[in-house]
Amino acid sequence: MRTVWTAIVALILAGAACLAAADSAPIKIGAILPLTGSGASYGVWMKGGAEIAAEEINAAGGIAGRKLEIIFDDHAADASKAVNAMRRLVEVEKVPFTLTSYSAPTLAIQPIGAQHKVVMMNGGGQSDNLANKDYLYNNIPVVSNEVGVMADWLAHDKKLHSAVLITANDEAGRNSAKTFRDKYAAAGGRVVGEEQVTLDGTDFRAQLAKVKAAGGELLYISSYGRNVSIIADQARELGIAIPMAGTSWTLVPETFKAPGAEGMLVTKLPFDPELPFAKKFKAKYGVDAGFFAVQYYSGTKIFARAAEEAMKKNGGRLDGEGVKQAIESVKVFDTISGKLVFQPNHAAIMDIEAGVLRGGKVQVEKVIKAGH
Amino acid sequence: MDLLLQLLATGIVVGSLYALCTLGWGLIYGTTLHFHVAHGAVFTLAAYYAYVGQKLLRLPLAVAALAAIVLAAVSGLLIDRLLYQPLERRGAVRTTLFIASLGLLILVENTLAIVFTPDPLRMDIGLLQRSVRLGPVFLTHLHLLTVALAVAGYAALVLFLRRTRAGQAIRAVASAPEMARTVGIDLRRVHLLTYAIGSAISAPAGILIAMDVGAEPYRGTTFVLLASVGVIMGGIGSIPGAMLGGLFLGLVENLGVWKIPSEWQSALSFGVFLVFILVRPRGFFGRHVASAEL
Amino acid sequence: MAAYLAHYLVMAAIYTILALSLNLLIGYAGIFSLAHAAIYGIGAYASALVALRLGLGFWGGLLIAALVGALAAALVAIPSLRTAGDYYLVASFGLQVVILTVFMNWTDLTNGHAGLPAIPRPVVFGWVIDTPFEYVALALALAVLTYAICYRLTSSPFGRVLQAIRDDEIAAAAMGKDVVRVKIVVAVLSSALGAVAGSLYAHYITYINPSSFTLHESIFIATLVILGGTERLAGPLVGAFLLLAIPEALKFLAIPDAVAAPVRQILYGALLVVFMFVRPEGILGRRRLAPVRAAAGPRP
Repeated sequence: MRTVWTAIVALILAGAACLAAADSAPIKIGAILPLTGSGASYGVWMKGGAEIAAEEINAAGGIAGRKLEIIFDDHAADASKAVNAMRRLVEVEKVPFTLTSYSAPTLAIQPIGAQHKVVMMNGGGQSDNLANKDYLYNNIPVVSNEVGVMADWLAHDKKLHSAVLITANDEAGRNSAKTFRDKYAAAGGRVVGEEQVTLDGTDFRAQLAKVKAAGGELLYISSYGRNVSIIADQARELGIAIPMAGTSWTLVPETFKAPGAEGMLVTKLPFDPELPFAKKFKAKYGVDAGFFAVQYYSGTKIFARAAEEAMKKNGGRLDGEGVKQAIESVKVFDTISGKLVFQPNHAAIMDIEAGVLRGGKVQVEKVIKAGH
Repeated sequence: MDLLLQLLATGIVVGSLYALCTLGWGLIYGTTLHFHVAHGAVFTLAAYYAYVGQKLLRLPLAVAALAAIVLAAVSGLLIDRLLYQPLERRGAVRTTLFIASLGLLILVENTLAIVFTPDPLRMDIGLLQRSVRLGPVFLTHLHLLTVALAVAGYAALVLFLRRTRAGQAIRAVASAPEMARTVGIDLRRVHLLTYAIGSAISAPAGILIAMDVGAEPYRGTTFVLLASVGVIMGGIGSIPGAMLGGLFLGLVENLGVWKIPSEWQSALSFGVFLVFILVRPRGFFGRHVASAEL
Repeated sequence: MAAYLAHYLVMAAIYTILALSLNLLIGYAGIFSLAHAAIYGIGAYASALVALRLGLGFWGGLLIAALVGALAAALVAIPSLRTAGDYYLVASFGLQVVILTVFMNWTDLTNGHAGLPAIPRPVVFGWVIDTPFEYVALALALAVLTYAICYRLTSSPFGRVLQAIRDDEIAAAAMGKDVVRVKIVVAVLSSALGAVAGSLYAHYITYINPSSFTLHESIFIATLVILGGTERLAGPLVGAFLLLAIPEALKFLAIPDAVAAPVRQILYGALLVVFMFVRPEGILGRRRLAPVRAAAGPRP
């Protein structure tokens, strides 16, 4: 009889311990990022930004007293890997939320997140198809905003009326090229040719030879990551003298260093290198921070805010549905780059700057305010 | 017209790279009948040898490249000595050698990927990256060097096979191994020599690509399989055929995009090959189709 | 933990079907194909597309995949009739590259690089197969079915003709066996089964893109077959289950993510080399008699 009582007491104590542990168990979220491959430079920014955010959150006591833990996964620009990572996060780790990146991988994981009610926050992918998707939020504007500004600026300010395109053969590259065609035509421009390239390719001379033959007053690079600098250098090598242009995702360290990219016309999303965050990033990682670092810092902080809201409303319980409702009800978030407002289409809008790449820096010529 | 000429020029450059690969692989295959896919590993190693020589040991580029070629020759020779010959002594059939070769290729590629990361590693090629203009065609000095080396490599190989005793021994083994053995030729030594020379001929291709766009660990698989395609198209056992096969592949790949969208480039090259092999399996200059059973 | 185990079992079952079907070509018909991943992909895309575009159920998709795979077998079979050995190997490599390029660039059909997301999970007699364990049951059932089909084929008189052709094609032809017909039948069955594996995969991961069906994948499937042993029917099955356990076991060794994939590949490569030295016939192969020591040097 005594053994039965002992067992019951032990069980009760164990149960209590479990409950107590659950209350202080860390909150786990995912982060599916381009840690290796042609987009590894973005990965350094994204991971660093998220890590610094988590550190700051935990140093301030965590989220409702619980520590934040980020589980990082690498998709290396391959959507299949992103899907595998998402399955693990959802089915094994049972996270309520994950950071995500790139267009094709995000589109691939979105149905899984929607089905299992896990919130996804995209801070890097820009395909227009990322808008209006259940459980997916983009704290970055979709590409038509930037491309619209770019097309307008090229046609009206720079007076370049015909363009030839080099397009990455993936979701993001193709979507951006299509949008460029539409917006450029609306601004009175004409697209005279288009060639496709792979993100991880290293020799684009055949495509560039055709680009050269197509004529045009400008070469629009609808690609991103490592291959942009290679495209720029090889284009100049082949005697292509026309100006080149690209949106903010072309601005990776390799591009800043490439001789061929000198004079490139770019749009960029705002990034203030004087932010305390930027100094912290540089001190910790030895690399200059960039726009995408801030994005994932903000994304993590947005989660923290939404999670606190959700737990307050649901008596300490945290799940994806709660986080989603919190984001929808809070809607306006304070970030280190200003107020971030999630539009009804689940994407954000931001000021856009247009300028020229010279000597490793962008000389801004024009600023187009958000909502323009 | 300008476009066609530019594509023709690029086709000749790329064809020269392929030709260096087909000459080396073809020499080895024609002499030993080993389906030596690990040749891709030697090709890749040559690139990294050169990279290490220049960027880590700070040797002048030419020295690093030459040293890399020598090291590649030794690497190829060691593969025969330490992998194929011991397996043959154990009575291995050709399929077994092929599988072992494949295993070695996978092993080497992935070890390099861990040590050097999978990202392309650029080298400093200084003046070689300057563009030169030949009419409407733009090429870099490196590209011109590539073509020159392919021609020189071909000439050197032909001279070697025709004019030297060692070369003649190789030809004897390639065409009639049993007879060669009967007249006292040491097959093992001839094989080792073949591997050394075949590897030395293809090494420059790996090095030149590394100089152009960077050394990458996984390129070797594609190149060795392309080399086998080129050798078959040229005709097994024919050195001029191998040269032609390699050039042909480069030209098809580049001229093909003149009219078709560039993303279909590889489908075109291989499509042409598949039709070719069904219509004329013996290739441009091949002898009758050897049973070449795997 | 249990979820990991379920995932392993499903993938092992899928690769068993792939390895068994490839072995019909390699081990029984003597056709060394490097294009099996392309067939796998054809089945996956066929099944996914009929589910997404036509709303067809799982069994319909499976059947369509098998049929499309069987048709695609022509791509595999026809070169095998004109070429053999090394020629066929290179031709299959070419075929693999061409088909992958089609997956990547025929974007209207396959959506190219972006792939096909939101593939529905199967519905069997009104029951949605949604949890990992339910999928394990489905996958294992299909693997067992595949094994049974291969068993029937190889232990029948047809199977004996197959082995005769594998051992000596010319002699078999001389004996009046219709080599052409046999090769076509084997290719069709092999491709149909490989395509079925693709269908199973597509509905499990619920997302496919071309990167799952590359030459490296073909090489991997061939590795399973070789290491398991081509001579016994169960060889590929053993190969699949054992070799897929390696990455799972590696997970416990805290290997940084960036190098986990190359490390796995190094292990596979090393296994291939080592096996060719000590046990070239594979795990389940029949042990050969001690080889006669070669007289002097390499064979002609």
